Amino acid sequence: MELVLANHSSYPRVGASREQQRLRRAYAQRERGEISADDFNRVQDSVVAEVIEEQARAGCELLTDGQIRWVDSISHLAGRLNQVEINGLLRYFDTNFYFRQPVIKGRVAGNGPLVAEEFRYARAVSPRPIKPVLTGPYTLAVSSIRETPLYRDLPTLVLDLSEVLAQEVRALAGAGAEVIQVEEPAILKHPKDLRLLHKALKPLSQAKGSSQLALYTYFADVTPLYESLQELPVDILGLDFTYAPRLPETIARLGSRKTLGLGLIDGRNTRMEAAPQVFPILERILPRLSGGIAYLNPSCGLEYLPRDKAVAKLRLMKELRDTFLQRGKR
Amino acid sequence: MSRAKLEKLGLTLPLLPTSTVGSFPKPDYLLQARARFARKEITQKELEALERKATEFWVQQQEEIGLDVLVDGEQYRGDMVAYFADIMPGFRMGGLVRSYGNRYYHKPIIAGEIRWPGPMTVKWWKFAQGLTSKPIKGMLTGPYTIMDWSFNDYYPDRKSACLALAGAIRKEVETLVEAGAKVIQIDEPALSVRPEELPFAIEAMQMVTDGVPAYFITHICYGAFEFIYPRMLRFPVHNFDLEMSNSGLDLIGLFKKHPFNKDLSFGVLDVHSHKIESPMLVKERIAKALQVIPKEALWVDPDCGLKTRTVEEAQGKLRSMMAAVKEIRQALDKAPKRKQRRIEVGSVVKKRRKKIRKHKYKKMRRRMRHKKK
Ligand SMILES: [Zn+2]
Repeated sequence: MELVLANHSSYPRVGASREQQRLRRAYAQRERGEISADDFNRVQDSVVAEVIEEQARAGCELLTDGQIRWVDSISHLAGRLNQVEINGLLRYFDTNFYFRQPVIKGRVAGNGPLVAEEFRYARAVSPRPIKPVLTGPYTLAVSSIRETPLYRDLPTLVLDLSEVLAQEVRALAGAGAEVIQVEEPAILKHPKDLRLLHKALKPLSQAKGSSQLALYTYFADVTPLYESLQELPVDILGLDFTYAPRLPETIARLGSRKTLGLGLIDGRNTRMEAAPQVFPILERILPRLSGGIAYLNPSCGLEYLPRDKAVAKLRLMKELRDTFLQRGKR
Repeated sequence: MSRAKLEKLGLTLPLLPTSTVGSFPKPDYLLQARARFARKEITQKELEALERKATEFWVQQQEEIGLDVLVDGEQYRGDMVAYFADIMPGFRMGGLVRSYGNRYYHKPIIAGEIRWPGPMTVKWWKFAQGLTSKPIKGMLTGPYTIMDWSFNDYYPDRKSACLALAGAIRKEVETLVEAGAKVIQIDEPALSVRPEELPFAIEAMQMVTDGVPAYFITHICYGAFEFIYPRMLRFPVHNFDLEMSNSGLDLIGLFKKHPFNKDLSFGVLDVHSHKIESPMLVKERIAKALQVIPKEALWVDPDCGLKTRTVEEAQGKLRSMMAAVKEIRQALDKAPKRKQRRIEVGSVVKKRRKKIRKHKYKKMRRRMRHKKK
């Protein structure tokens, strides 16, 4: 069984040093009109390159651009669509992070690429494969205010967003993405809508070409949904183990037809996981997986951690993986 | 209803006691002094002198406006969690974490055993209480919120970190009571984020308040109450201080289903808005509350701490609130018992109800909140 080290999605964009805080300064300067959009983009570019290099140096094998350009995982995408305005701040699940809430004014439609350009840049500067990340249609929809009567019913908006995101999946696949990650944390809070999610993922699945489509959920216990998630039209399921004490035994019992992204490294807490916590779970579930490959990744985006801890978690992931595999050989 | 509890403590408060949630805006001279202190340009002593000056100002303001239960205004605090994490052994300051947009904060890390370092707030409570004959509230952040807003490197899980914090906060509570505090507010804004953790949040608060002769208030300023109500009524405090005006007031609907059986500090001022509410609007809000809360159990205050408003806005909002409360008190005094309810609610309530229905975003906005009070 191959165990690939993958980053999850976001990555801290500032660190402790002055140099590592240049994006924060540039953002403030841009807001005050002291630097041009081009200047600001150059700083963003350099920080994307920096965090890609940092992930690679830490031993990560499937990287992300750290979502460095995203204000948050909702408004970055929704804000680029037609008929969407961006409103006030709202708490992102149970975190202490706040996203800007979209207001849907009319029929949503794409308005050029969402992240494909960002992906191309990241890919060009990265020594390793980059995994583009999209927030899924369901999570985008439930995080929005539906102001138009067109979307009195949630499903209509979810399915329209799904069409928009399918175009993006097609663009990303065309740009060479091997794995495309779609995040749907909200589905864990609304298990009743699983059929709707299924329907919404279909167009994405049809657009993926030769890419692998990954569905990542987090911030709640996925165990009750685990079996149903196996039915969804995706290739990879990313699972947050930190909320799910019974998930290992569920996977051991049911196995998995899909490749799994094992979120065993807590992306929300600074404490470093130890082998005795992680190895028994790996021993238990790896033999039950098919396909010969699994991803080891943080439980969620690493932006909830300070930069030094985020990189330490990636290093730890490599250390644990290498020790685990060597142990098996002996 | 805890009128009896208050009287046992020797506190006689008028109907609809008025108070505030805790923080007041810092005057410009104090903001500048804090920045200079951070750059090591002035001494701790110099800073503290200005913090005292600002505290005196706010205590005097609260008296002048006519509030019943006062606060020290937290002129000496920054963040409601960081203030305690900075003082308590066991905590280490963590690196920067983004909270939204381009905003970052240092998130504390629990890196060792949490201990009570000796009085953390008592000196300021005594100072403020020395300036007035009205009761000053002791102001603490609750164990669940401190835990939730910190990283935990030391304790095996969230619950044990929370209970360890409860032990330390308990000691602070005891010390405040020894010093003479009768009303203690313990803020738990994070209470509703993980409904499945409510049982140990309750257990922690039990550790903090059990058997302590004081009147306890807890402030919760955002949140998905529908997930923890009515279970949250088991939270061992006398008074829930809830954000109401910024929530479309739809908690009232919940209370109609399951009667609210504690005292309620009803937020009537939107602390996110620059606009000063008219006394009329405040009266409507109070009338709405009186539909579901007996008048003996109702307190009136702003939604949250006023620290994000200007000094003038804070004063204006509180004056409006006080004017409204005085009018309603008069109406309540005059009305014969039987008719009171009708007088209180009157036609304004009907109007208000329509407005609420129109409020398209109320569900989402209920969850809206800002970082600290
Ligand atoms: Zn508050």
